[in-house]
Amino acid sequence: MADARLKTLLVLLVLSLYVRASKYQAETEDNDFADFEEFDDDFERPYQGESPADGGGAAEPERAADVGRAAAAADREQQHDGDDDDDALVEVPVHRSTNWDKFYVEMLMIAGDDGKAEPGSGAGLLKESENMYTLWCSGRVCCEGMLVQLKFLKRQDLVSVISTMMKAASDQVEIRVTMNAEEMDTFVFCLANKKSAARLAKEMTDISTYCPERKSAERFGLPAHFSVLSEIHEAAAAVLDARVVAVVNKYPELVEYIHVSDQYSGPKQQLDDQAPVELPKVKPTLAFCFNLPGRGRLQPADVETVRPLMQLVLYMVDRMKRCKLGREGRLKAEKNRLRVQEIFLKQTHQSRAEKAQAKREEKRRLEKERILEEEDPEKQRRLEEKNEKREAKRRAQMRQMKVKAL
Amino acid sequence: MRLGSKVRMSTVNSSDPRRPARVTRYKSPLAVNPNSSAPVPGEDPTADYMNVLGMIFSMVGLMMRVKWCAWVAIMCSCVSFANSRINDDTKQILSSFMLSISAVVMSYLQNPEPMKLPWEMLS
Repeated sequence: MADARLKTLLVLLVLSLYVRASKYQAETEDNDFADFEEFDDDFERPYQGESPADGGGAAEPERAADVGRAAAAADREQQHDGDDDDDALVEVPVHRSTNWDKFYVEMLMIAGDDGKAEPGSGAGLLKESENMYTLWCSGRVCCEGMLVQLKFLKRQDLVSVISTMMKAASDQVEIRVTMNAEEMDTFVFCLANKKSAARLAKEMTDISTYCPERKSAERFGLPAHFSVLSEIHEAAAAVLDARVVAVVNKYPELVEYIHVSDQYSGPKQQLDDQAPVELPKVKPTLAFCFNLPGRGRLQPADVETVRPLMQLVLYMVDRMKRCKLGREGRLKAEKNRLRVQEIFLKQTHQSRAEKAQAKREEKRRLEKERILEEEDPEKQRRLEEKNEKREAKRRAQMRQMKVKAL
Repeated sequence: MRLGSKVRMSTVNSSDPRRPARVTRYKSPLAVNPNSSAPVPGEDPTADYMNVLGMIFSMVGLMMRVKWCAWVAIMCSCVSFANSRINDDTKQILSSFMLSISAVVMSYLQNPEPMKLPWEMLS
């Protein structure tokens, strides 16, 4: 009896040690992410090189910044006015651009804001739960801000560890960039691998509303396991330019989804008993989700592999300004949005009509009360007359409407 | 586009994309709707399920005097604690811990016999 009890105790101890050990591993992995972090935090690194001329002939060559700024161990606030005149439109040859290691980017004003402390005090990664970390970055042209969420696999308790062992999943980085309204043209686009595409098409309000069909991504030169959900084909072609396609082809298993939308409002809310009272608030957004390499077993060296994907994010943020739809595309987008609004208005027509009716009743009641309360008989009479006139007019109007309806 | 960029250069250092004036502060999604205490849909519900499960098991363990239920209740409270979000209030977790520990203590006070393990029950 005692033997069996000892055995059980030993087994439990060993299991708990295993859980603790894997948690420690996760923590060191989290710390390795500090390197990844500094990529945003490191303001001192100079802005070198930029995207090269696009593969397609139509795109113009893009500006490249001066490398001389490397000398600036300068303050962030310092304005580099003198260099402006030296900046020229330089075409960077394509082969140079593939040397991603040389590309250091200082891109954002603050990284790691928790909304409470002074900006710039560097709260850094915010821990939302044991397996989820958040980083908010803001202060850049084109976008309101960027929310980076590190969603790790759960390693903090035995039940989760066992369930993750059964599913093949990886740690993910989810990046959501909220754009300024004028920077982005109106379209909804999503590139995702097949499983995520099915899930997003069901969950996301904007994709389910505007992108009814799923197409294979092969026509854009991407691997077969990706699908494209797009409202306007022209927009999909504009977003998936040579550079983006190259990066996705280089890391096909790391890209989970890329979602570009001007009507982003998050996943569908749980439906209450009544229909939604108003359209959800939408913001133009770019959402990216990348799997981290290693399928749950991250190595420090893997962080460097993911860097090009971060640069892809920033490249796309900058590029959205230039992704403009043609006339037909814009018309089609307008039509779609109007249609969605109409459908919504029709759905809520009933409830809105009831509310209007209730309001009218309320007003009438108040008027009557005022008349009764009025002590001066003169005024009372006058108010009653006014009320009578108003009611007569309303009745005449209703009669007219009924005739018209007939 | 060339003209545009030249014009921009004279006003702002346009090759440096940072704009200190455009900084927007972080608004936690939970702070946006303070009325609804429910978490954002899609967020992890494990902590809540485990909380409820832990309470159920500890009640069963107390009422029916089933010892293993009480132990499972402690386990559920631990899992719920591990999966909880940082800004969840600790009162709920603390109360579930206390409940499960009291379930264990009460079942052993009433019946100090060691718990019968499943493989022993067969022999």
